[in-house]
Amino acid sequence: MKTTEKRQAAGRGTIELDTAGYGVRKDVRNNPVREVDTARQRELWRSVAVGLLLVVVLLFSAWQRVEQLRYGYLVEQLQKQRAAEEETARHLRLEIETLRAPARIERLATEQLHLVAPDKDAAIVIERITQPEPPPKSVIARR
Amino acid sequence: MKRAEDSRNEPSSSPTATDWRRIVKSRMLVAAVAFGVWGAFIEVRLLDLQVFRRTDLLARAERQQNRTIPAEAKRGEIVDRHGRVLAYSVDADSVFAVPSEIDNADRTAAALCEVLSECTERERESFGERLRRQSPFVFIRRLISPEECRRLEGLNLRGIKFLKESRRFYPNRELAAHLLGWVGIENKGMGGIEWSYDKQIRGRAGAVLIQTDARQQAFSRVGRPPTAGATLELTIDEYLQHIAERELHAGIVAARAEAGTALIMDPRTGEILAVANEPTFNPNNIRSSTEDARRNRAVQDLYEPGSTFKIVTASAAIEEHVWSPQDIVDAGHGFIRFGARQIDEYNMHAYGAISFTDVFVKSSNVGAIRVGLKVGAERIGRYVHRFGFGRRISSDFPSENGGIVWDPARWNESTLASVSMGYEIGVTPLQMAAAVSSVANGGNLIEPRLVRAVIHGNERAEIAPRVLRRTITAATAAELTTIMEKVVVDGTAKRAAVPGYMVAGKTGTAQKLINGNYSHTNYNASFVGFVPSRNPALTIIVVIDSPRAGGYTGGLIAAPIFKRIAQASLQHLGLPPSINPSAPLTVFRHSAQSDGAASLRVTANDQTPPLEVFAGAPGMPDVRGLSAREAVRTLARLGIVARLRGTGIVTEQEPSAGAPLDGIASSLLVLNRLAPQAQSVALAVEQP
Repeated sequence: MKTTEKRQAAGRGTIELDTAGYGVRKDVRNNPVREVDTARQRELWRSVAVGLLLVVVLLFSAWQRVEQLRYGYLVEQLQKQRAAEEETARHLRLEIETLRAPARIERLATEQLHLVAPDKDAAIVIERITQPEPPPKSVIARR
Repeated sequence: MKRAEDSRNEPSSSPTATDWRRIVKSRMLVAAVAFGVWGAFIEVRLLDLQVFRRTDLLARAERQQNRTIPAEAKRGEIVDRHGRVLAYSVDADSVFAVPSEIDNADRTAAALCEVLSECTERERESFGERLRRQSPFVFIRRLISPEECRRLEGLNLRGIKFLKESRRFYPNRELAAHLLGWVGIENKGMGGIEWSYDKQIRGRAGAVLIQTDARQQAFSRVGRPPTAGATLELTIDEYLQHIAERELHAGIVAARAEAGTALIMDPRTGEILAVANEPTFNPNNIRSSTEDARRNRAVQDLYEPGSTFKIVTASAAIEEHVWSPQDIVDAGHGFIRFGARQIDEYNMHAYGAISFTDVFVKSSNVGAIRVGLKVGAERIGRYVHRFGFGRRISSDFPSENGGIVWDPARWNESTLASVSMGYEIGVTPLQMAAAVSSVANGGNLIEPRLVRAVIHGNERAEIAPRVLRRTITAATAAELTTIMEKVVVDGTAKRAAVPGYMVAGKTGTAQKLINGNYSHTNYNASFVGFVPSRNPALTIIVVIDSPRAGGYTGGLIAAPIFKRIAQASLQHLGLPPSINPSAPLTVFRHSAQSDGAASLRVTANDQTPPLEVFAGAPGMPDVRGLSAREAVRTLARLGIVARLRGTGIVTEQEPSAGAPLDGIASSLLVLNRLAPQAQSVALAVEQP
């Protein structure tokens, strides 16, 4: 006669011991079967989505900040360039005005080119150019 | 063997499992403590930084990351009436030093002095003294030239740095220097129009907040930008100004005079076209000029006008109907006495009985005194006031001298006599020019103006002429003009005559008052007049101080300068002659945009026969209306043989006017006794 003794094994299932003293592990899984909790899963996904959204927003914000900085440097550099160009233009205009000074032109004409001022009979006035009188208040083009 | 190994391993396998747990536990404990300490440290640090030291650190961050720099406004331009630049601002470099970075102050000062212009020994010592200061920043020299800056940069001196500042430049150098004035080191107007309109020209400074990173690189810029100053459009004509300065300088050199002034004005509008002063200065280099050279004599210096003031006496006499031009005045024997005082004619001329007109044509002192005495002090005084003497006449010259006119109620006969011939009264050349302009324009005293318009941004606000008051009637002005014309034609101002133009004017020669006594060697020679006299475009006054060569009278010294200024100015302005004006010149000019069919007809006074121009190449001239001789001469100049038919003037021509000249060897001219109807109007532009 074969007697068996059931001994509760620690952990998983039970171990049946026969008379010979050998035991055969009977793997009786007693894991609880979990049903899918859809509400919780939805909540999880929602949380993940929100988290992802937050991450994206954070990344977007960081990207914007970086771009703002980058464009800030660029704008600053362009403004410096523009100021330099404007200053160069001002210097050039000053040079033009200096070269156009009547005293200088007259000196060049009389001393270097040996020109003489025309007398009144040598110069023929064909057309008298008069500047049109602007109205008292007017919008004018920038010189 | 294997058993031995097992037996060796066996006893240790059980304790190892326990140890592992213990080790992990202990390590985790250590890590947790470390993390805890680290976290606590961070928390403490954060607490310290963000709570306890928050204010201080915020302020430090502000200082390091944000820089608020003042943005200096550019001064507005000053341009002439045609928009040509007279004053302009550009950035220039200023040199400064950081003394703490300089090892050898003396050697650096010597190097600086070697490069910078006009550096004296004293200035070099001053550099050395400044470089030894315990200051983080000292200016060495401000607004240096680009050349100096390049040379200094080349030296690469340690502790010497540069910064940009706005600097005023006057591209025409001395031109109109007294009118423009100059700007000080702080970009503030110090004289002339730069000073009187400083508020408008200077603009409004702004402030810019610049954010920088740890490397001090700017990445953001916000703030209030500066508002640029207004541009001033002056009434000055740059070229007329050049003419006035050139001729005044030549006249002063020829007369070996001490100083002088010349002023050109438009009598119809009161616009000042030119003001020249000698000696003069270069406002770009103000440090090398003297105060005397910087004085605008035309508005700041008083002089006794002498005979030019007789215009006022004559005005009062005619306007008040006390004298008429045909009346006879007893000019006596060349002198007149008032108690112990004797007033003589120039060269003791005894004119005897002469007409009222001749009193002024010959500039008789005794005659003018007799006229003045009959008119009376009250009336003369009233006209002195009406012509604008004794008070400032223009708001554009804050430094203007109002002149000296004593109260007429307290004039005795001697004073009235003096005033009648232009003594015991102090006037400025500007006042005199304005007074004579009122005669020229028919009796309106117009405020002399230097600023034509103020341009803010793109808006131009023009300043309208302002009539101050009526001085005399148009009839009196016409009578005076006739008298003044005779002064130039027959009188003391023959040297002021401009060929082709009628000139009206008056000479003046006045002894200078030196230390309370009238000098017998120093005179003010002057001439004031307007041209063309019947349609005046220019009033010109010339005052020469103490001429030493070629005479001392206004007729000998000032009148020729007036003539040269007037001649060149009239030519520049293209004003046609007023004496025997020539037939109109007609020019057909084809528009560059048109296909050749449309053309502009421009006519102007000139003796040259009509000329047809096709896109720069001459075409067949219109010789209709010319005499046969003139027509033949005109065609001969172009290499065309004229064939004449009939007698008289040319009425028809073949080929017709305007035809291209290519291939034309001869032209048929039909002459007729009947002149074609005049169709040209001077200075008119019309579409055919």
